[in-house]
Amino acid sequence: MSSTLTLNVPLNRVEGDLEISAEVREGRVTDAWCSGTMFRGIEKVLLGRGALDGLVITPRICGICSTGHLAAAALALDAIAGIAPPPDAVRLRNVLQMTEHLQSDLRQSFLTFAGDFAGPAHRQVPGHADAVRRYEPFKGETVLEVMRETQRLLEIIAIVGGQWPHASYMVPGGIVSAPSQRSRLQCRLILRQFRSWYERRILGCTLERFAEVRSRDALQAWLEERESHASGDLGFFIAFARALGLHQVGAGPGSFLSYGALPVPEDSAVRGVGGSGYLVPPGFLQGGEVRGFDPWSITEHVAHSWYVDYEGGLHPSVGETRPYASGNEGRKYSWAKAPRYEGQPAETGPLAELVLAGHPLISDLMKREGPSAFLRQLARILRPSLLLPAMDAWLAEAGGPLGYYRSPGPIHEGEACGLTHASRGALGHWVRIEGGEIAHYQIITPTAWNASPRDSAGRRGPIEEALVGTPVADPEDPVELGYVVRSFDVCLVCTVHSLRRGRPAGRLRLGT
Amino acid sequence: MTSTLYWLQGGGCGGDTWSLLNLEAPGLVEALELLGVELLWHPSLSRGSAREHRQLVEDLASGARPLDVLVVEGAVIRGPGGTGMFDTVERRPRKEIVAALARRARFVIAAGTCASFGGVSGAGEVEATGLQFDREEPGGFLGTAYRSGAGLPVVNLPGCPCHCEALAGTLAALLSGAAPDLDEWNAPLDFYGLQVHQGCLRNEYHEYRVEDADFGQRGCLFFHLGCRGPLTHGPCNKLLWNRRSSKTRVGVPCVGCTRPDFPPPHPFFRTRNIAGIPLDLPDGVDRPHYMAYKGMAAAAAPERLVARKTRI
Repeated sequence: MSSTLTLNVPLNRVEGDLEISAEVREGRVTDAWCSGTMFRGIEKVLLGRGALDGLVITPRICGICSTGHLAAAALALDAIAGIAPPPDAVRLRNVLQMTEHLQSDLRQSFLTFAGDFAGPAHRQVPGHADAVRRYEPFKGETVLEVMRETQRLLEIIAIVGGQWPHASYMVPGGIVSAPSQRSRLQCRLILRQFRSWYERRILGCTLERFAEVRSRDALQAWLEERESHASGDLGFFIAFARALGLHQVGAGPGSFLSYGALPVPEDSAVRGVGGSGYLVPPGFLQGGEVRGFDPWSITEHVAHSWYVDYEGGLHPSVGETRPYASGNEGRKYSWAKAPRYEGQPAETGPLAELVLAGHPLISDLMKREGPSAFLRQLARILRPSLLLPAMDAWLAEAGGPLGYYRSPGPIHEGEACGLTHASRGALGHWVRIEGGEIAHYQIITPTAWNASPRDSAGRRGPIEEALVGTPVADPEDPVELGYVVRSFDVCLVCTVHSLRRGRPAGRLRLGT
Repeated sequence: MTSTLYWLQGGGCGGDTWSLLNLEAPGLVEALELLGVELLWHPSLSRGSAREHRQLVEDLASGARPLDVLVVEGAVIRGPGGTGMFDTVERRPRKEIVAALARRARFVIAAGTCASFGGVSGAGEVEATGLQFDREEPGGFLGTAYRSGAGLPVVNLPGCPCHCEALAGTLAALLSGAAPDLDEWNAPLDFYGLQVHQGCLRNEYHEYRVEDADFGQRGCLFFHLGCRGPLTHGPCNKLLWNRRSSKTRVGVPCVGCTRPDFPPPHPFFRTRNIAGIPLDLPDGVDRPHYMAYKGMAAAAAPERLVARKTRI
């Protein structure tokens, strides 16, 4: 038997603190452990606070997806109050969430993921000089442009919501501001400017032209059709990532989860995907079969997490979180819990969203090559092209007679969950209010799904699973592991847990 | 001359980093160049390998490499039981790295409320604290006697997140050799010597006590909706956010995020009252005069404000 090497890799260029431990034999990963190394204990901040306080506290869980948390918190409170925000409030909530997705997708792809393209490990790879010109941290052409363009884009959130990050403009019943016609037009201009840059710099063609690329063969033909297609950052990504073999690593568990997000108002010209009423349709895909999403099928396990043990898994409405720092020995190794769907690990994020939406190109690549670090990252680079047209349409449609806010009155009692998608995938807030105070607040973040440790049955989390089989050329600088992990766009600052007093739940209302 | 900067993230959300990317004219990259700053490490943006980073921290801690500026984002997590094991780097408490680098740095900047006072992280159960304050209590992680290499206390730039201009402006001042004037919380007066209330577009509504009791209107948010603008120091309505607006301008009551007591124990978006007058009055104002003034002001309110005709 050949010697086994254990690598411990603290990972930078992820949000928060993640350490990977990998067992390597004959140059390949044979097993992996994914460890969130920080516990923030946000629950104590929330319990006993005012009913609306999740709108202020939870966005501050995460610097890059604060809008996602705000949306989940507001959706839970909408449901508890039993109020439906006016359609224009739904439109603008969507637009601001989507704005956050655009900045996150672009920054993650070109400031974070592509950083290693320009690194010393790939000096011999054809195109490396071009990669340095584009992606060298703080210097690359694409890096500087992405910083500039995403910064401008975020002005949309400030115009409607006051600031980014960390604002609290979504409240039960809608949003607090009533943007004037001028403000909405400003937002549309900023969005058009961004779209034009994205088409020119990233796609190298118009959104409409790229929408015609519906298969792997069509993608190849598109790449060869014009110089601008091959030299855009999408074209470069495809060539370079495939030269590195990123389409052959990082498959993961092969199961994909979406809660459903971006509800389409009934009076909108924008159509929901597959008749779902959402731009991001809900569903669970496993073994090629898509099933309906049932929020009661979610459980969380702590067998390998630094929390006091309980049997099997618990639904987030009745779970518990008692930190238990046992030191480094034993089987516990992460502050992240292990969420499971129907007892199975599941991947969430742009790839899950696009596959469940039946995106033709992504689905064809999935069928032919299976999931991979490449496909996951491709889905993230392409997601803006799917969001931009709906954003413009919703900004244009807003300004109707029903306004942006419908008062729910004081919120005293109730229990609900707010389910949406943050930029990294499925996000849920499970909330119970008693006597006008927060009695229970549980959050499951997208990264909790993706970066989860093993569960009580010993099943690996999606990233752990994706790492198995990955070749490692240089154990001193295992860039391959970085690609696989970063393709999930992990955000560990989010991975907090917050349930205390467990109690059997009644019928849970869904805020989506 | 080049100055070195190391950015450390502790118990926080990374929001101060993303806020810093809002910096414009000059932008972040240009500003660092103009100030001659060599960014040795930023956990979200740097490329170096884990091995290179380990070596860097070792060299900075031993003094083999000089460290001009240490920026800390996020609180220092000390739990459980003072061990720091709730927040580790390669199985070592991160707080040890904070202490080691603070011993060497010429300047230490606390970016954001968590690093300054504990903030949201400090309100939890992880024994988190700011660098030199634990909420209002002086001391924090480094102690009251701490001075950086240049003889300064930790320079606090509170805010959740911290405004990008406060960070860039303070960095520029420190590196130019001009120690900024600090307030009682060791925050630069240039950025924290004014109230969030100043520059709010709803000021005329406030002046005449035309108050809103629910979201979605144009009036003042202070009397009923829990706005902390007149009690909070910060540049939000002077420098604006993302160049465009601010929370209070769009109708989100100020949550007082630069204050050492953030998050306060009482609920947001609800003003605590005595006889219809807020329990917490604007900074430095006495109650009898304020009540007389506000009664007269309300009586003098013009119809255009009462009817919320004046746009904001």
